[in-house]
Amino acid sequence: MAEEFLVVKDLHKSFNEFKAVNGVSFSIGKGEIFGLLGPNGAGKTTTIRMLATVLKADSGEITIGGHSVRRDAESVRNIIGVCPQDLALYEDLSALDNMVFFGRMAGMNGKEAKEQAMTNLKMMGLVDRAKGKVAKFSGGMKRRINLAIALMGNPRLLFLDEPTVGIDPQSRNNIYETIEDLRDKGMSVLYTTHYMEEADRLCKRVAIMDGGQIIALDTPYKLKGEIGSPEQVTLEDVFLKLTGRSLRD
Amino acid sequence: MKRVFFIAFNEVKLYLQDKGDLAFSLLLPIVTFALIYGAFGGQTLFEATAYVVDEDEGAYSSIFLEQLEAVEGVDVELITTSQADTKLERSDVLLVLHIPDGFSEALTSGERTQLVFRQRGNAGQEGQIVANIIRGVAEEMNQEFQVHRQVSDSLQGKGIPEDRIEVVVQEFLDKERRQPVVGVVEETLGGSPDFVNQFLPGIVTMYVLFAIAMAARVIVEERRKGTLERLLTTRLSVGQLFLGKFFASVSRGFVQTLILLGLSYAVFQIFTPLSFLESLVIALIFAGAASAVGLIIASIARSEDGATWIAVVFSVITFMIGGTFFEIAEGTGLYTISRFSINSYANDAFNVIIAQGGSLADVGPELGILAGVMVVGLVVSRLIFRVVPGGK
Ligand SMILES: Nc1ncnc2c1ncn2[C@@H]1O[C@H](COP(=O)(O)OP(=O)(O)O)[C@@H](O)[C@H]1O
Ligand SMILES: [Mg+2]
Repeated sequence: MAEEFLVVKDLHKSFNEFKAVNGVSFSIGKGEIFGLLGPNGAGKTTTIRMLATVLKADSGEITIGGHSVRRDAESVRNIIGVCPQDLALYEDLSALDNMVFFGRMAGMNGKEAKEQAMTNLKMMGLVDRAKGKVAKFSGGMKRRINLAIALMGNPRLLFLDEPTVGIDPQSRNNIYETIEDLRDKGMSVLYTTHYMEEADRLCKRVAIMDGGQIIALDTPYKLKGEIGSPEQVTLEDVFLKLTGRSLRD
Repeated sequence: MKRVFFIAFNEVKLYLQDKGDLAFSLLLPIVTFALIYGAFGGQTLFEATAYVVDEDEGAYSSIFLEQLEAVEGVDVELITTSQADTKLERSDVLLVLHIPDGFSEALTSGERTQLVFRQRGNAGQEGQIVANIIRGVAEEMNQEFQVHRQVSDSLQGKGIPEDRIEVVVQEFLDKERRQPVVGVVEETLGGSPDFVNQFLPGIVTMYVLFAIAMAARVIVEERRKGTLERLLTTRLSVGQLFLGKFFASVSRGFVQTLILLGLSYAVFQIFTPLSFLESLVIALIFAGAASAVGLIIASIARSEDGATWIAVVFSVITFMIGGTFFEIAEGTGLYTISRFSINSYANDAFNVIIAQGGSLADVGPELGILAGVMVVGLVVSRLIFRVVPGGK
């Protein structure tokens, strides 16, 4: 396998008595898109929060780019970008102002931040709306801005927590292409989603998570092969087989 | 450290975007001030109306009325005899001046004449003051006449034209009025201990506390929007975030205070340049203490409404027990309780500076306590703050 950029060993996190993350281990290589799949409440977001330094793990080891999250959170923050599940934007500011602000928080100077903001907006097809107030944007545009902000400061590892929820196919496709482009440039990506075709298309490997644990981890092709002919079954079939058909909320 | 500035700057930018918030924090101090002015502004200067029945309507009665109108704080209102009767009867007015028919004629022909006060009882306080002012004007007129007469009498038959004498005497009288032999000057020693002095500190502190505690809501809102968590995945540390929010909040409270104190300075003249600056220092330290309290509220509140309620309850209790609108005597139980309100220290400090003419050196303990609250508040809020609620 390629050089490992992120290594997670036996991660645990409880809220009161409830075990939200219960012994999770995996790793992501340089330039790999890794899928973290699972029903609602599986513990995906909690895992990302621990990896992104905003939530302290009860136990376990996380290393990102050679830095321990526990001992050297600051160095970790220098090399990660987070696109949160829920939009995290200043709706009253323009797209450009949002991006420049977070760019400066990521340590860029004013000129760099502005330049990169314009580059990212171009990539997301939003250049002509740069000065527009985010509050006036459509759902798809907000999602794209949400991702564009995560890219400020050129992170080497990107966390994408369900980045394509509730948006139109065009916006979604734009996001896929952006991510593939970044991967080709060497960025590692942790991608969580409910959409199985999405994971099948983008991810080199996927982990299926349920009840705070990883219950399967392999390439989509091999996972499909375990329940039938990889050409005929879908990743969704695998997912439903592993996590059951009972409803989650 | 630059990031701290950007956080504060961004906060101010967001705040300028929100028209409602902006109006609340900038217009309300002005409205509050207008209310104080409406309530207490008129009492800072004597103002009265002199009711006059002018039966003469001649050259000298109009000169007399002109001179009376020129007296500061006196308004002349002309009424008819029957109006005067009704007003006096109803006690709407306690004193009316009658200028009798033939007043000008008598003066022109060098005879004596009289002004008549018609009054109810002793004419009341205002009436007595107005009567004295009228006597003063009459006296002045009297003296001018006598000067005129004596000068004309002694120069009679010396071939000097009458109108030339008139002009020279008038010039002399005008000069004398501008530079009197015995002049009166006013010397003000500090502000006057009036209503404004008494209430302004309370209003300022109540205002700052209230608005800043409400700023706690902004942080809780930012947590809900997710931007708080996002910020903390960048290089920004929690400490820097807190300082940024703190400075934004302090400047917000300070700007409001500046408006209130600045207007008071301009309109009521209750400050000297030095006491104004000293008051601003107190305002700044108080805004710091209140902002730190705001951060604690932000750290314990779970929702925006929660933050608002904690802030409102805290503010109301603080300014109720802090002696905002009434003076609390030292040594009473209430006084002891008031010591738990940060307002009381700011109120005391403002009072010393504004009403008692003291200096910052006299309010060291008060400022020390406020600064202490600020430091402790910052530390405590940082300790109890959680990026993700429920997380450790
Ligand atoms: N801050 C929190 N406090 C208490 N419980 C939480 C908190 N965050 C998450 N949980 C619980 O942990 C479980 C996993 O949540 P999450 O990681 O958000 O799942 P996912 O992202 O896979 O949908 C859920 O049952 C959720 O209710
Ligand atoms: Mg989630």
